[in-house]
Amino acid sequence: MKIISKGDFKSFVNALIMDSSLNVIGVKSKADKFAFGSLESADDLIMDYDVTLLPPKKYFFPQRETLVTYDVAKGFSAKDPVEKKPTVIIGVHPYDIVALLHMDEIFRETKSDPYYFEKRKSSIIIGVNIQKMSKWCFAAHMGCATIDHGYDLMLTDLGNRYAISIGSQKGELLLDKYAKNVQNALARDIQLVGQKKREVIAMTQQKLDFSPELIPELLSKSYEKSAFWEKHSEKCLACGSCVLVCPTCYCFDVKDNPDLSLEQGERVRTWDGCLLEDFAKIASGENFRPTRPTRYRHRYFKKGKYLYDRFGFISCVGCGRCSSNCLPDIANPVNLFNDMYHETKASGVQITPASTPEVNIQTEGNIDYVPRLATIVRKEVMTVYETLFEIKLDDGSELGHAPGQFVEVSVFGIGEAPISISSPPTKKDTFELCVRKLGNVTTKLHTLQVGDKVGIRGPFGKGFDPEALKNKDLLFIAGGLGLAPLRSLFNYVLDNRKDYGKVTLLYGCKEPRELLFTEELLALTKRDDVEYKPTVNWCPENEVWTGNIGVITTLIPQVEFNPETTYAIVCGPPIMYKFVIADLKSRNVHDDHIILSLERRMKCGVGKCGHCQINHVYVCKDGPVFNYSKIKGVPEAL
Amino acid sequence: MKPKVAFFDFAGCEGDQLQIANLEEDLLALLGQVEVVSFREVMKEHSDDYDIAFVEGSCTRLQDEDRLKQIRKNAKIVVAIGSCATIGGINALRNYREIDDAKRIVYGDSANLFDAYTARPIDAIIPVDAYVHGCPIDKDEFLHVVKSLLLGKKPDIPTYPVCVECKKNENICAFERGQFCVGPVTRAGCNSCCINEGTICWGCRGLVDNPNENAQKEVLIKNGLTVDDAIKKFRLYFGWQERRR
Ligand SMILES: Cc1cc2nc3c(=O)[nH]c(=O)nc-3n(C[C@H](O)[C@H](O)[C@H](O)COP(=O)(O)OP(=O)(O)OC[C@H]3O[C@@H](n4cnc5c(N)ncnc54)[C@H](O)[C@@H]3O)c2cc1C
Ligand code: SF4
Ligand code: SF4
Ligand code: SF4
Ligand code: SF4
Ligand code: SF4
Ligand code: FES
Repeated sequence: MKIISKGDFKSFVNALIMDSSLNVIGVKSKADKFAFGSLESADDLIMDYDVTLLPPKKYFFPQRETLVTYDVAKGFSAKDPVEKKPTVIIGVHPYDIVALLHMDEIFRETKSDPYYFEKRKSSIIIGVNIQKMSKWCFAAHMGCATIDHGYDLMLTDLGNRYAISIGSQKGELLLDKYAKNVQNALARDIQLVGQKKREVIAMTQQKLDFSPELIPELLSKSYEKSAFWEKHSEKCLACGSCVLVCPTCYCFDVKDNPDLSLEQGERVRTWDGCLLEDFAKIASGENFRPTRPTRYRHRYFKKGKYLYDRFGFISCVGCGRCSSNCLPDIANPVNLFNDMYHETKASGVQITPASTPEVNIQTEGNIDYVPRLATIVRKEVMTVYETLFEIKLDDGSELGHAPGQFVEVSVFGIGEAPISISSPPTKKDTFELCVRKLGNVTTKLHTLQVGDKVGIRGPFGKGFDPEALKNKDLLFIAGGLGLAPLRSLFNYVLDNRKDYGKVTLLYGCKEPRELLFTEELLALTKRDDVEYKPTVNWCPENEVWTGNIGVITTLIPQVEFNPETTYAIVCGPPIMYKFVIADLKSRNVHDDHIILSLERRMKCGVGKCGHCQINHVYVCKDGPVFNYSKIKGVPEAL
Repeated sequence: MKPKVAFFDFAGCEGDQLQIANLEEDLLALLGQVEVVSFREVMKEHSDDYDIAFVEGSCTRLQDEDRLKQIRKNAKIVVAIGSCATIGGINALRNYREIDDAKRIVYGDSANLFDAYTARPIDAIIPVDAYVHGCPIDKDEFLHVVKSLLLGKKPDIPTYPVCVECKKNENICAFERGQFCVGPVTRAGCNSCCINEGTICWGCRGLVDNPNENAQKEVLIKNGLTVDDAIKKFRLYFGWQERRR
């Protein structure tokens, strides 16, 4: 530990500011509140603030950030390299430092977010121990009011001087280079710092009535209590304030922003939040979290359970910002968790800490937000709403996908949409996408012609495992557009027909004119190694249909299969799953013999933006293909 | 061929057309993409041959309806610009008085000469394809809407409230400054401009699709507004929408 006089500290800060190769940030006053901002003089720096309006994450994950630029003539490029000045942030409270450590893990998981880390890696964090505490702060309960690591330097105010704990070599070098008259701390200083840290804990005005280790388990026991969630969220304005000010929230939206030439533009990401009404809404109009209670509950689960299960930490550092920003005063985690605790206890349920989850976070390489340029080489109109696009990557490379995976397709100036790859991996130099015209991207895509360019990212997600299905009997059940993802596996199986047992395809649409891939399917009827049964819900008078009439489940009793050797592969509109699964189960198909492909709103495709989440599961990364036995206990899934 | 664009005004202040006329360089760049065939704010000529019609002002008289229907017939795309056109705007405030009282206050004894009726947004009369909310409109959002329409996409108009932008802009909440704000139920898209300037949101962009009005009124009252004043806060801009809900 080192000691520096307040005067010398000021000179140190001014020396940092004078160095134009650094971007020096500190806490400044904003009326009677505080905010991190660019420092012009050490005189503006405030170290005895209570809490800042926004946390310092805005320097690494800004409110608005360009991911990609595009030029219709040239394609997509990574955004121009930003000025890579290291950011020095002075005066960060311990809870905000812990929150940055949370963000680091979240942005690193599976693949690293290059935009976050380009700024974060070069940053230098100079913390300060809390001197005044916001009345909403409960960091002490979360173990985040004082810390021993995560900073480069950590200051403690000792009256006429600061004690400085050195947390990294970077911090030490900074001190060496810019500070004068730094002394070694004496025993009394070390003791004083200990005392100051104890005083911080005692400043807490919020009272959590139980130990936070119980939070994950408490939440597990409260998921189904809809009356509880309704009562607590009744006054929710769906204003998103609670998540936008949170230092550990990381959800984002992605949008294209063309300039006035309409030929060039940028793709930007902006902060988003799960409390907002359309967060989980998809183009067809379906909203997977349509009500305030479900969205309100999701936030608490995200903080206290989902991230705990994935990373082993409770994703709330107790800064109290959500509590102070919620106008109806319903976002305070302390109040909610206390209520939950007392209600659960009163109902006689024992709550013991959940066993520590097994955390196995793998990370490899960077996320590439820049789409590869590709060309539409064939376009085949299938129905009024669906068209098949055959696409070739311009760099000549193979897509290299597994059946069931998807790509993010970009249309210049419009945006990106996740689309399943409809062709089997056996088809190498091009791939096919069967696209329904629904919203912006998909409608514009339909207007593109052969020779036009699109952008492709991916393949993404976990697809089907054709190896594991070898020698099994396969029962494909597709509803409507659900045939698109199944076709990649189905055609792969046909291309390797001898490796698989009995193959059956049940396919249902609303009416005959909605049937996809009609010629291909007609060809099936001539094969004796495939059983194919289509159905339509109804047939209008002006159309012809000789096959089955009824919903898809009316086909299931018509086929023979051995539940022991059969795997059912199911994809269709959300409503279909429940019924199909019930019927399969009544035919004794094992849970782990049912394989589903699910759909949710997506933005990033790589497990970062939060949009596709089904409880703790990310559809883009953990799916879209799921084994039913693994997903059946996930309440939002089906 | 460049799409032909025309501007029309009904009961309103033409402040929105002024905003557009004030776009300066952006206007020039925009003019490179479209052909303006009718725009009273900057030109004298007028033509009935247009693809996109921008309509400002609310419908306040029976005669307005015919004119609107004619515009709808001529245009491929109708865009409502400004609060008066998108939500009825301030004009809808008068709906809370008996219409004859309102006329008398405005026109005195000659009231009977005017045939005003309940003020309403233009989508009460004709289908509208896109909205540029605000009183006045936000230049950037106007450009966003025009660019989107030219690219063939549905403009991205926020469904969330002003608080979202307000938080991102790191403002101190009006309530913390002892003021009263309807930002939590007002559709965002203006980048919380009024609060950025240290004032409050009056709600000029109209209610979000599913506002929690009771909760918002409770917030206003809890923070010291009387019930009457809380209701008045809602009436300033939300008159027509509240009536329709
Ligand atoms: C894993 C997966 C596979 C899919 N496969 C296909 C397919 O093979 N063929 C097909 O036609 N459609 C498929 N969809 C649905 C398709 O992604 C949406 O119809 C599409 O995103 C709508 O985009 P839009 O811009 O036209 O609509 P808008 O309403 O303008 O949507 C705006 C944005 O919201 C997001 N979004 C909206 N709806 C969805 C949705 N249903 N799923 C995910 N994100 C959404 C997208 O980011 C989209 O760009 C798939 C979805 C998922 C998740
Ligand atoms: S909980 Fe509070 S802050 Fe969060 S969205 Fe609801 S009203 Fe807004
Ligand atoms: S949930 Fe609330 S208290 Fe916890 S870290 Fe986020 S803003 Fe702070
Ligand atoms: S899903 Fe989680 S990270 Fe995303 S906004 Fe909600 S609480 Fe925050
Ligand atoms: S000032 Fe208004 S818009 Fe901003 S956060 Fe407060 S209530 Fe919301
Ligand atoms: S802050 Fe409110 S009053 Fe101001 S422009 Fe936005 S919506 Fe209108
Ligand atoms: S987390 Fe972004 S799409 Fe799944």
